Amino acid sequence: MKTNTLQILRIVKVLSWIVFIGLCITAGAVAVSFAVSLFVNTAAAADLYQNLDLSDLYKFGIGHYIVIGSLIILLTILKAVIFYLVIRIFKNLNINKPFSFEIAMLTRIISYVAFAAGLLAMAANGYTEWLIGQGVSMQKDWAGTEWLFLAGIIFIVAIIFTRGVELQSENELTI
Amino acid sequence: MPIVVNLDVMMAKRKMSLNELSSKVDLTLSNLSILKTGKAKAIRFSTLEAICKALHCQPGDILEYQEAK
Repeated sequence: MKTNTLQILRIVKVLSWIVFIGLCITAGAVAVSFAVSLFVNTAAAADLYQNLDLSDLYKFGIGHYIVIGSLIILLTILKAVIFYLVIRIFKNLNINKPFSFEIAMLTRIISYVAFAAGLLAMAANGYTEWLIGQGVSMQKDWAGTEWLFLAGIIFIVAIIFTRGVELQSENELTI
Repeated sequence: MPIVVNLDVMMAKRKMSLNELSSKVDLTLSNLSILKTGKAKAIRFSTLEAICKALHCQPGDILEYQEAK
């Protein structure tokens, strides 16, 4: 059972690195193509990253285009930050003494970042809906409620983890 | 915490060093030190029994309740 858990943890650690690198590349690619569409060639707005077409928004208003583009980049960076924190959890994790204050703190920070991403995504969702109402043709699912749900779940886990840390510390100080 | 550990007082009365007590009660020096400095959160009955046996005293000689200020 222990070996199985260790194997799963090792696999998740490798996956977290892969996702983190992938998100960094995505954020970089979106930022570069966004900058290209602004300063070099406006045609880049038609395919920012993986068929993300914001050409209609660009024609509607460059200010709105900059705001939406910045929100997309910011949310991708926040996702990368979450996975960076997951990697830090694995770095600090001692499998023989898994309940430590550092990991409890990192888990709580992840929930705060996810909550911030959720609020940002909700705001972006409202803004997108307003833009679509103005006649702009664009498709972007920001998944704001999913982010908030995730933040809530992680926060609950963080609170339970903190209690686990307290119990472990109490157990260690029982002579 | 309102529970005060008077282990050092009893050790001084019995003229017993921490090393000697450690070997008699089969506890590590670091654990005894935690107990002596009042950092411990709890004490097992078996530990209390061993300490009382080694120091020829009662649990009340080691543990004392003081009203929190």
